[in-house]
Amino acid sequence: MSQETIDLSNSQIEALIIEAANNLPYPPTPDIIGVVKQQLTAKQSHITIQTRHLVWATLIVLFILAGLLVVPQVRAAVVEFLQLGAIRVLLVEPTPTAATPPPTASPKAPPTATPRPSPTPITSLLNLAGQMTFAEAQSRVDFPIRLPAEPSDLGPPDTVFLQDWGGPAVILVWLEPDHRDQVHLSLHQLGANTFVQKVQPKVLRETEVHGERALWTEGPYLLQLRNGGYDVQRLVEGHVLLWQEGEVTYRLESNLSLEEAVRIAESIR
Amino acid sequence: MSEANLIQQARRGDEVAWAMLVGQYQEAVFRLAYLLLADADEAKDVAQEVFIRAFYALDRFDSSRPLHPWLLSITTNLARNRQRSLGRYLAAVTRWFQTEPEPVMPNPGDEHLRQQEAKTLWQAVQRLSRADQEIIYLRYFLELSVEEAAEAAEIAPGTVKSRLHRALNRLRTTVMEEFPTLQEERIG
Repeated sequence: MSQETIDLSNSQIEALIIEAANNLPYPPTPDIIGVVKQQLTAKQSHITIQTRHLVWATLIVLFILAGLLVVPQVRAAVVEFLQLGAIRVLLVEPTPTAATPPPTASPKAPPTATPRPSPTPITSLLNLAGQMTFAEAQSRVDFPIRLPAEPSDLGPPDTVFLQDWGGPAVILVWLEPDHRDQVHLSLHQLGANTFVQKVQPKVLRETEVHGERALWTEGPYLLQLRNGGYDVQRLVEGHVLLWQEGEVTYRLESNLSLEEAVRIAESIR
Repeated sequence: MSEANLIQQARRGDEVAWAMLVGQYQEAVFRLAYLLLADADEAKDVAQEVFIRAFYALDRFDSSRPLHPWLLSITTNLARNRQRSLGRYLAAVTRWFQTEPEPVMPNPGDEHLRQQEAKTLWQAVQRLSRADQEIIYLRYFLELSVEEAAEAAEIAPGTVKSRLHRALNRLRTTVMEEFPTLQEERIG
């Protein structure tokens, strides 16, 4: 056979291929441009339609969500609490099955909420334990206890309490001049790791103290906290301004207006 | 307008710019698809798909590289996928046709004779492995440089050379054993 006697060199096989490549009768190139343009346009239209559907679907979902948020229970489930420093304001009544937050829980921990089943009720701030002098309280906490300069006739606090609410909590109390058994004003100064909850205040709005975010609440509502190893709750009927400076959270409770409370808050030294 | 500008415009969704690039490379893409699939209709479908896919993948295309090898690379991959999906019986039919090399006509005109020889040589190439075929088509049939072929085959230029060398050796063996008429024409 011829292939047994005749061999092809590398250059010959290469030349054979090049010649074949030049002479191979390809089918005529079809109109690819037209088809591609057509398909791209069709795909774009498809994408546009899909996008339009997506926009409609999104609008419908947003509409449904907006509708659901009108329902208080749903809104409460979505926006469960507001946190400012050591204080968490629960916007919904905590469910009985929820776990109690640990006493040393970080203020930024997720909302839990219902305190232990049998909290000790306190009818008045004046019933608190831990009463001491201002100097003694200052010696026991690692942050400076500050006093308001306004109103100018306020004077020093009548009573000072030091509490352990997961962290140190100093409560300065000013009594009504004419009713020494009633609280005129109280200023809570809560150190790091303190944890306090307010449950469903009647009024809740955001405001500012020294240009920083603050909260304003109006009672009645339950104030829940842990004092030492005990859960404590107190019915607050007054107005409360909450703000934070550094690691200290301030809580000013009074019957004053928001403007008056802010003026006092901005005067503390 | 330069290719880079056209690509830039196409990236922004300009279909006219893309159509201009399609016009520039459609023949090469179609021919490579045809060589790999040996079917004009299949080749047309693949070529269309190449340009559609490339259009939507332009954001991922490195515009510092030439477009031509990139398109051929997509062509190779799509043709490979399509061939796999053709099914066993089609593959069997193809193999049956490939086993009978077309006879060279005894006294045809020169042009026809050269075309017949080219077809026969193509049949010989089709006997090689897929990788061997691809590198031969890219380098000789589409006349890409070694660097361009390397881009299109997604291998190093050195690998192109070594793969070509081995492919040519295997083709030579195939021609000598199965397509002696080609060999005689060349030697004679």
